[in-house]
Amino acid sequence: MAVFRWGQHWNPLKDLEREVDRLLQGMNLALQVRSPRRFPLINLHDDGECYVLTAEVPGVELADLEVTAANGVLTLKGLRKAPPEAREDSFRRQERFQGAWQRKLQLPDRIDEDGMKAEYALGILKVTLPKVAGTAARSIPVMEGPS
Amino acid sequence: MNDNTDITRTQSPDRSVASDGDSEDSEAPRMLLNPSIDIYETAEGLVLYADLPGVNSEGLDLQVQDNRLALFGRVEGTMGPTEMLHQEYQIGDYLRSFILSDEVNHEKISARLNNGVLRVELPRTARTEPRRIEISTE
Repeated sequence: MAVFRWGQHWNPLKDLEREVDRLLQGMNLALQVRSPRRFPLINLHDDGECYVLTAEVPGVELADLEVTAANGVLTLKGLRKAPPEAREDSFRRQERFQGAWQRKLQLPDRIDEDGMKAEYALGILKVTLPKVAGTAARSIPVMEGPS
Repeated sequence: MNDNTDITRTQSPDRSVASDGDSEDSEAPRMLLNPSIDIYETAEGLVLYADLPGVNSEGLDLQVQDNRLALFGRVEGTMGPTEMLHQEYQIGDYLRSFILSDEVNHEKISARLNNGVLRVELPRTARTEPRRIEISTE
């Protein structure tokens, strides 16, 4: 516990809060307590021809981003680095997720897996999942069977 | 306890729909969101990080007035007329403001936006030397 903090008056409650958080973290409970939000958050749209999935991954570098699809499961994986030169006890406020993350999503059937595309800009990952072209109703000729 | 000296006192809107108050603007009211932030201390001062996915440098407005640092990030390019199948995050603009302590050197605040994350450096002012005031007699 830092004894002297620049610009901040002694605040015993804050210190207590931090200590409790630290204890909880040690018990692996804090993940649910402190960040009930999943990371990353995902939206899914249907623009007619494609499903468009967007995920908010601000601060993740392109090199740390991995998108794979196998057996009907789309996996988004990455790493969000902690801010540089920040020590655990130097935080006055910490709301942003940091560390490794992964999300798996069941792909809908009728997706053209070869036509999938992913782009990353402004902290938003966008994955385009083209639908398999709807097959037109095929008329099956009815033959006269043996009587 | 004097809250005013603490940058961690933040002012933020609840997740609410804000209208521009401009009746000529036919645009639909935009959602105002409260960005997630980190604030930490370094040897030079404070560093603030804010998650602003979807905001580019043109859409970002950072202002210091008196002792208040306000950040506003406008998200451009919504998806157009698509059907939302699943929604976990809200789409809207970001707004949050902070009370700066007197020890932050307002003139030297710098900011950088990268991959949807804003980094603001808030350097400390150098301590001023005590100055003796001469007392004149009548």
